[in-house]
Formats: sequence, C-alpha cells, structure tokens
Amino acid sequence: MSTATPEVPPCRRCASALEAEDLRCPICGLMTPPRARVAVEREQAKVVRCENCGAAVEYSVEVKAPRCAWCGSVTRVETTVDPVEQAQVFLPFTVDLEAARAALRGFLGKRSFFRPSGLAREAALEPPCPMWWPAWSFRAGVEVSWTADSDAGSRRSDWAPHAGRTRFDFDDILVPASRGLKVKECEALAPHYQRGTAEGAPRGPEGAHVERFDATRSGARRTVLEAVERLSRERLQQGVIPGRRFRNVHVAVALSSLYTTRFALPVYVLAYRYRDKPYRVLVHGQDASVVLGEAPISKWRVAAVVAGVLLLVLVALLATGVLGA
Amino acid sequence: MSEQSEEKTSAVAGPLLHLGCPSCGARLVVEPSLRTMRCPYCAAPSVVERPPVPGVPEPTFALGFTVTHTAAREHVAHWLRTRSRFTRSGIRSAEPGEVRGVYVPAYLYSVLAHTRFSASIGENYQETETYTATENGKTVTRTRTVTRTEWRPLAGELTGYVADVLVTASTGLRNEELEALEPFDLRGLARYTPALISGWVAEEPSLTREQCMGQARKEAVERVGGRLEQFMPGDSHSGLHHEPRLEWEALDVCLLPVWVLAVRYAEGAPPLRVLVNGQTGEVVGKAPLSAWKVTLAILGVLALAAVGYLLASGGAR
Repeated sequence: MSTATPEVPPCRRCASALEAEDLRCPICGLMTPPRARVAVEREQAKVVRCENCGAAVEYSVEVKAPRCAWCGSVTRVETTVDPVEQAQVFLPFTVDLEAARAALRGFLGKRSFFRPSGLAREAALEPPCPMWWPAWSFRAGVEVSWTADSDAGSRRSDWAPHAGRTRFDFDDILVPASRGLKVKECEALAPHYQRGTAEGAPRGPEGAHVERFDATRSGARRTVLEAVERLSRERLQQGVIPGRRFRNVHVAVALSSLYTTRFALPVYVLAYRYRDKPYRVLVHGQDASVVLGEAPISKWRVAAVVAGVLLLVLVALLATGVLGA
Repeated sequence: MSEQSEEKTSAVAGPLLHLGCPSCGARLVVEPSLRTMRCPYCAAPSVVERPPVPGVPEPTFALGFTVTHTAAREHVAHWLRTRSRFTRSGIRSAEPGEVRGVYVPAYLYSVLAHTRFSASIGENYQETETYTATENGKTVTRTRTVTRTEWRPLAGELTGYVADVLVTASTGLRNEELEALEPFDLRGLARYTPALISGWVAEEPSLTREQCMGQARKEAVERVGGRLEQFMPGDSHSGLHHEPRLEWEALDVCLLPVWVLAVRYAEGAPPLRVLVNGQTGEVVGKAPLSAWKVTLAILGVLALAAVGYLLASGGAR
C-alpha cells in the first residue's frame, strides 16, 4: 500500500530532505515552516470546543492528548511521528527461477578440494525462495572536521597531532537494513544491482515476498548517520590524514542535503540439505553469476590433509636427523 | 470588549486584562503573564489570545504532560523522605501540598557553529635513562624506562550543529532551575495548539528573544567546548582555546510541562518550592539545611576526636 506524500521543501538550513510530518529538521534541528496563523487583533478568551459535541476540551495527562470531558473524544495533535517505513523503490528480478536453480547447481558442481565429492548428486534442493531485502540508499554532502595522531611529522614521540577540515560527497551509498541476511552477504550483493531499473512496485516471480524494514524512521536516520561517520573515517585514512599509521581519529560531521531512499533489492534464497544438515545459498536477483553460499566440508579430506602434513614433518625431521639422534 | 488598565507588571506582558468568559459571560480579570484561565463561576477553561508583542514570538511547540497529578505528588513525597538528615526539621516528614501543573515557556535554540580551536597536544614517548643508586653501601648505575610527554601545538576548526538548547523564557523559572529539570525528551514535541494547554495554567513568555539569545549562545558555546574536549587527539592536552562563529541561529518558543508545588514544613518558615519535570518525574528543589543540626554534628565529631586523642595519649603514657 503506497500513500502519495506531498512534496516537502528541504530544510532551509542544511538542505536535507524532510518528511511531511517533521516538526523540526532531524539533522540540524531547525523548525520546519509553520502553517500561517491569523494574527489576533485584540485580546480575547476562547474555549477550545470539541468537534463532536461542542463541549470544552482539556488536555488530559492520562491519554496524553486533548480530550473532551463530555464525550471522551480525543483531539489529534501534530507531533513528531516515528513510523516503521516501507520500501519506496523496488528493483525487478531479471534472473528467473530456472536460472537461479541453474546457478545453484553450478555452485554445487564446482570442484573444490575440501568439498565432499558427491555433493551435487546427494544434496537435496529445496524450492528457491525469491525475496526483496530492504536497504537505505543515501546521498549527502558532509562537512568533516577531524583530528588524529599519525606518524607524519613525528619527532621524539611516534605520534604527531593533526587536524583539518574537508568535504566529502556521498552518492548512492547503500546501507543494509535486512535482519535475514548477514552484513557481509549484503555487502557482496550490493554492488551488482542496476539502480537504473528502479520501479515503484514489486515485479518478479510469483510468491516472492518483501522483507519489511524493521526500523522506525528515527532508527533509520541513526543507522544512516552511523554509516556516514564510518565511511568518513575510512576515507580520511585513505590519503586525507597525512602519514601511514593513525590513532585517535576523531570525526565530527555536519551533514547537508541528506536524501534517503528506501530500496527493496531482489535476491534468491536457496536452501539445500546435505546429510541432514541445512545450507543456504544466495543467488543475486539481477546477476546470476553472483552466488554466495556455504558448502559442507568433507571431514575425511581435512583429516587426510592434516595427517599428510604431520607425516611430511615427521619425515623431514627424521631425514635431518633431529629425531634419529 | 476588553478594557485595559494602565498598570504595567512586566517588561513584556501587557497590563491586566478584563475579559468576558466565553461560556457564561462573567467579567474576569486575567493576569498579564498567563495564557490560560478558568472561569470561577462556570469552570470553563479558556485560552487567551493576544496580539503579538514585538520581540516575543508565539509558542511554536509544546511538550504535553505525561506525569500525572498523583505521580507528581508521589515523586515529591519520595524526594522529601530521602533528604539528608541535616535538613531543617519537618522537611523529611512534610506532606506535599497542592500540586499545580504549569506550562512554562522556554526558548529552543539551534545553530550551526564553526569553532576555531587551538591547544597543546601531549604525545607520550618512552625513554631509557641511567641513574645511580646506593645499594649495600655501594654506588651502582642502573637504567630505567620513563614516560615523557612531548607537547605539540595544534589548531583547527570544528563545524557542527548544536540543537536542543533550552533556555527559560519566564521570569518565574530561573534558568538554573530549568537546567536542573532537564533533560526533556524533545522527541515528544508537538506543534503548539491551544487545545494542548486548555485546562492547565500556561505562562506567557516574559523575556524577549534578545534577552534570552545571549544565554542560549553561551550554552551552545559551552556544549561545543565539551565536544572539543572529546575531540582532541594525543595522550593529553592543555590550553584548549576556542572561538566560535555562529551561523543560522534559530530560536522558537516551546512550552514545557512543570509541576510546581510549595511544601510547608514549619510554622513561620517560607514554604519550600519544589518543581517536578512533567515528562520524566525528575524532582528539583533546595531543602534548606538546619544550622543547629550542622553545628551539633560538627561539635559531636570534634568531641569524639578529642576523646579519641585523650585515650590514645593516655595509653601511650
């Protein structure tokens, strides 16, 4: 269910995107423009009337809202709402079910020394489960003030203090919001999506389901801000701070023009069982060559390798005469 | 409809108002510092509307009460019971009296601060030094590792937003009292509408924007100073100086929920003013100490020390 939200002009101070319900800018705290009020010409006392019955309305601490003492109806007031939001933009599946299954078979058939040899034959495949996982994508300009100790310019001590200011522009940075996928899996999947294919509604195989955003609006902003800080810290250590070794890297960010989009990204989750143990493989929903997953390890082969190495060491020791003596 | 008398009571609020009750028509006198009233004849709650006063903005936000009347009383009763033994007698057993919920106006300030700073950063390093010591009557030379600090100058600039600075806009609530009541959870902020304060006592701002701006700036700069302390690299730092340049200041009036009550604990003594944060239940008040009790306690400690000394010196002889 999508509700059409009216366009809200960005914050006048930091140019960040605002939601229609925001009373203050969540980034810099500036009040959003109030609705026009009619200036009062002369003093007068007014009773706030109930819209239902016309009796006087008083603020009630029990219901934490204005309430009519007569009929009990509660007046809604404008507050900062914190809803759990849903995806705005869906990327379509371009890999179909058959291709996903083929990718899984390819993954299982891949030869690797430690894998049991009968894996492709013995694995019991379960039906693939197509789904969209949630992620935020943001772009922002960031004024970064930093201080750090580094080895550049150091004298008697190993460290010398440095400080500076720089501006970073982040464009289309993806922050995973999925609880079902691991962060590592999300990071591996993310670069292979074609952002240009974004659509307003889900399009993919039948029965595909959408993982819900499990965070409120304020939680989402916190996660995005943490990502901005983490990325700034990383970028600073890649050539901005002089020197090669760093410690005490302090970062203060002042964001401007933060825009966040909520994405739903397609992926196939394929499960198989091998000797009664479940394993999970992910196949990218837009690029069948991206397959991530776990495979069983043959205990026999690991044991054989360990034994072989031990034997070699023993032989070497005997040959050099360390043990023989 | 309104007649205005000449007396002036506050620099900001106008003279006493004579308004008709919108429900029963009775003529009522309204304090210039109040935004709400309740008709004593028909109990109708009403909100007073006034023409805008230059320099004093209309309330933009209000934080609704969440601590109930009885909970506020209980918080105060608990607070009174847990006061120190040295407070004046009667305080710990006093009963909280009438509790009044008041919406107190405050200015909510936010700013973009560019702060130039300079400091001496201390970087530690280890050094081996030799020293001589006397051991068994012989002089020997030894080495030891000592940590020394090298001081390096650092200057830079910190840019950041400072939001959520609250300063009082009421002469009835001192800024120290507001600071003691803080923090308020500003996530619960609602856009001001008369329905939010209807039936409660709400004050008009009695301080102008200009009067409060200085205090707000001071608090913002203090907050940046605290941030800078955390921001310094090195193992230690000293001589931190900072000079802020404030841009994009914004100041809005916000009504804060405060329970106010007077505790009478003794005949003739002025009642003790206790405030309760209407959102968190935090209790603020200054229970006066009893000079007698403190003097007696000091005398008691001195007497004990004297007895102890006499005993000890007696035992030594």
